[in-house]
Amino acid sequence: MKNRLKVLRAERDWSQADLAVKLEVSRQSVNAIETGKFDPSLPLAFKLARLFGTTIEEIFTDEA
Amino acid sequence: MKNPLEVHGVGPYREGQGKGMKERRVSSPANYRFEDRFLFVVVPLFMLDAALGFFGFHYHHLQPVGALAIVCAVLQSLPIVACIVVFGLYLGEEKDEFQKGILVQSMLWSTGATLAVTTFWGSMEKYSQAPRMDVALVQFVFCIVYIVALAVNGWRYR
Repeated sequence: MKNRLKVLRAERDWSQADLAVKLEVSRQSVNAIETGKFDPSLPLAFKLARLFGTTIEEIFTDEA
Repeated sequence: MKNPLEVHGVGPYREGQGKGMKERRVSSPANYRFEDRFLFVVVPLFMLDAALGFFGFHYHHLQPVGALAIVCAVLQSLPIVACIVVFGLYLGEEKDEFQKGILVQSMLWSTGATLAVTTFWGSMEKYSQAPRMDVALVQFVFCIVYIVALAVNGWRYR
């Protein structure tokens, strides 16, 4: 699954560690989501959407 | 303005201040508890296990018998029991699904490697008269592969 996490994070000048603290997950989790190695659960996807003030569809794109 | 919980590092996830870490690190309370339990419970038990194994190897004429043998056997099996309990507690407490996945994946690798090595060696003992492997060493194989798997996964998702 593709995502715009890196772009959204860069727009706010947040590091992966900053985002990890805000999401209450590890920095490795943020890195794995950003690089597409790990798809977040629905609660975490909603948390991301709320944090960036957008919708899940705006962050994640289904490749299928 | 920063969340005061984040500034003081007492929030659910905090950076590794005051832990003597050079690298900036964000970890969960569950992970800190897992590390503490591993360091202060599992590692000492493994050291006790190694000491008993060393004693048994070098002073085989002083082999314990009867109830003492059972006590020694229980003491030697405690580390792996503690290890599994610590893993179970971590899986129950950790909220980060990715970190849970890493632990489960590492455990799967170590379980698979341990079964493969012991099955291979068992066949070698049966068919090729290979030297007998002490079954008590199996838990060390599990732990060594687990540590390697954890390091590889840590490197993959660094």
